[in-house]
Amino acid sequence: MPAVVEPGGEVKWDAKPRKGWFFNAYTQLLLSILLSTAAQLCLKKGSTAIPEIWLGIEGLRSGWVWLGILAMVTSLFSWLYGLRFIPLNVAFNLAGLVQVLVPLGCWLLLGERIGPTRACGIVLVLAGVYTVARPLMRVEEKL
Amino acid sequence: MTAIPFLFVLVAEICSVVGQVFFKHAMGSGKGNMAWKLTAGIVAMAVNFFLWTGLLSKYDLSFLYPFDGLNRIVMMFAASIFLKEKMTLHLWVGVALICAGVLLVSRS
Repeated sequence: MPAVVEPGGEVKWDAKPRKGWFFNAYTQLLLSILLSTAAQLCLKKGSTAIPEIWLGIEGLRSGWVWLGILAMVTSLFSWLYGLRFIPLNVAFNLAGLVQVLVPLGCWLLLGERIGPTRACGIVLVLAGVYTVARPLMRVEEKL
Repeated sequence: MTAIPFLFVLVAEICSVVGQVFFKHAMGSGKGNMAWKLTAGIVAMAVNFFLWTGLLSKYDLSFLYPFDGLNRIVMMFAASIFLKEKMTLHLWVGVALICAGVLLVSRS
């Protein structure tokens, strides 16, 4: 999310964040990460509740799906707020946590079974995501 | 995972990148262009969302979520095609890691 990066590549720092722990930029970033994990879990719960869907339009009949959409949108706002005060590279590295939290949530909350093959695959993807994070951040500003 | 669902995943990830790019460009453009760019972004994101929810009804989330890593590969290739960015060895290592990971997950 390059909203805070000027065309010259300079980061424009906004005014100080509002007082109070809730408006702390890191609190908001963490909230954003948790919310986007929650969004995925809610979508999963919602889409299994309604069988026989191919395109997910049917899923809109489920409250879980709407909860997921709400979590997604809220997460986006928290993310944008956090980005006003936190350097992009720090934010992006923290956001990689979602790739860990989602499988953890699947295992603990949804009771999915993650075998060794899948676990190894998840770790490899995570390693790849971190490998390309820095150059990709630069590219994303330009795209 | 068979070819068709994999194609769905791929289209969903491409739509997600396209949507992000449109949203970004909508923010920076004048009134005339903003409307259609925003609309295009919303359409791309909606396609992504419905494909993803459809896939979620058939597969475990822990199975499907790692495929989100493909998002980065789409972005890298888009950058190398449209921005003529060089694909460095560093990036290829990342692509290889993500592909290997996704391959393992798809066999689990």
